[in-house]
Amino acid sequence: MRHDPPAFPVGLYGMLLFALCWLTLPTVFAPLERWLVGAACVLPRTIASWWGQPAHASAPVAADRALRERAADLEARTRYADVSGARSVFPGSYEPVRCAVRQVVMDQSRRAGGGVPAELRLDRTYAELAGASDLVTKGVALIGYLPTPGNGVAADDQPEDFARVVLLGHRSSPPVGAELELEDGGRLRLVVRGAASIDPAPLRADLWDDPYRAARLDHGGQAVRTMEFAGDRDVPAGLLLGHTRIWGYSGSDNEPPLTIGVFVAPPVDPRALSRVVVWKSVVDAAALPAPRAARHLPAVVRELPGAAHGRYLLAANGRVPDGAAVVQRGRFLGTARGLALGGGLLQSFAASRHAWCVVLLPDEPGARPRELEGTVESRDGDRVLLRVRGDTFSGTQEPLVPGTLFTGSNGPFCPSGLAIGEARPHGEARDLLAVEVPPMTGPIAVEIVVDGGAP
Amino acid sequence: MRRWLLWFLLAPHTFLVFGLWRDVGLPAVDASVLLCVHLAFFAQRGAVPWLLLGAAIGRAIVDEAALPVQILVLGVPVAVLLPLRTFFFGQRWLWQAIAAAACAVAVPRLAGLFGRLFDQPSASSSLDALAVLQAAVLVPPFLWLLRRLPPFAGFEERT
Repeated sequence: MRHDPPAFPVGLYGMLLFALCWLTLPTVFAPLERWLVGAACVLPRTIASWWGQPAHASAPVAADRALRERAADLEARTRYADVSGARSVFPGSYEPVRCAVRQVVMDQSRRAGGGVPAELRLDRTYAELAGASDLVTKGVALIGYLPTPGNGVAADDQPEDFARVVLLGHRSSPPVGAELELEDGGRLRLVVRGAASIDPAPLRADLWDDPYRAARLDHGGQAVRTMEFAGDRDVPAGLLLGHTRIWGYSGSDNEPPLTIGVFVAPPVDPRALSRVVVWKSVVDAAALPAPRAARHLPAVVRELPGAAHGRYLLAANGRVPDGAAVVQRGRFLGTARGLALGGGLLQSFAASRHAWCVVLLPDEPGARPRELEGTVESRDGDRVLLRVRGDTFSGTQEPLVPGTLFTGSNGPFCPSGLAIGEARPHGEARDLLAVEVPPMTGPIAVEIVVDGGAP
Repeated sequence: MRRWLLWFLLAPHTFLVFGLWRDVGLPAVDASVLLCVHLAFFAQRGAVPWLLLGAAIGRAIVDEAALPVQILVLGVPVAVLLPLRTFFFGQRWLWQAIAAAACAVAVPRLAGLFGRLFDQPSASSSLDALAVLQAAVLVPPFLWLLRRLPPFAGFEERT
């Protein structure tokens, strides 16, 4: 037996501490990871390149054309759904400007009630949106405000920065005058403000005009809409804020239910938002530059021998950004992890376990597209089960319908509108989708989205 | 210098080699568990932090989470087991089997925990009872073999 001092591995503890620092400052250490993992991938990439070259289709096949038509249909239907609800509420001198969500701010310290994010970043700068109404909508719903750069929550922002949206649940968001529609046709007036982060929903109902009737609300689900209010902010009436959620004790045979608090759940989860609408005067909107088109980098996906969990090698002649969408003729395969020495790794959608922002385009003509947040539960060959949530425009999670699943906004390099596959509701579950994803065998010629924008 | 070069050249590919072993239909051996037990019981103490880095690079190739998460997932079991090396040195095979089973439980659990904490979930966080049994049975003989081959042999702690 050897008593080799020191018994406790101080160097190892130092390495673990270094890993924690690395996770705290990921951008500082990102080049180190690109080089270390990139160098280790040179050997497998060289070996994989001996196993043939990707085959190229000579002409677009019928499936590709059908996919393009579905993508065009998605764009038309989401445009209508995003804009039509609030069109009648804003004056005719205002024109809707659809902005893609570039980033959902997931910072724990900036979470609203229910643990949901309270800020978004758009793909338009403050300078581009200057002069717009500060109200941000999604369909008929009011979701938040555009702050002024240099003030309040945007104190550190410059006009050339991507615009921030402060959602209604944010603690700095001003209260909104609202009214609640009761089943008997009556209305209750109230003020809706951001809830505390420990509360069950992002918005809290407050200052009722009839506290006695409010205390007797025994079930949730009532729509809460804005009302004209002589406050310091000009909010048009009729915009949906969400649906009520009652917090208290449910009654029994002898005891009536006891309502302690009334909260308001917004109609769409911020993590599921792909696009929102900012309202600008007609003249200003016409002068707005078109969104930047996406730039694609050609690449080849090869199998990584011995890898499980949907991991593939990427070979590209250029820098691959982390989180970039990898697309094969309009079909989304997964996201890239960029590495040094001209390569990367592809994590397939089917085998990933992080949350995705997705859009379900129903097969039924004219039906409203659903913006959802989904996580892959399990995979069986080319079929994955996706657990989804997020779209509660009617007050509850609406039943899922057959359709085509597309990406939502998943970061600056993974734009919305990339086809994932055909989706069907799975069994009796209201929140499970079975999605058919394209098979990935042999070398595949792909494109990597290296600059966000319209697909 | 040569042994370090060999380690960083070959050790990360341990994960791919054992993946190929599984793909041809042989009983799966978790390379994460194998490397954890090797670092905890047999590698030179002073070299462990850098050996761990090489192992974590290999896991980052096959797993969705980033490299620092892999350092934590592999490093925490090693940090727990390493101080016990002095006591467990005499009955190698038994302790190796127990430590391998413990690591086969700890590694997916830690992958799940760090995945949730740092928002980097991965598919390797699912725990499989069969994998625990296979680790207990197969890791000791594989370790016996690997410890006699480069690059593992170059970092063997002399008794």
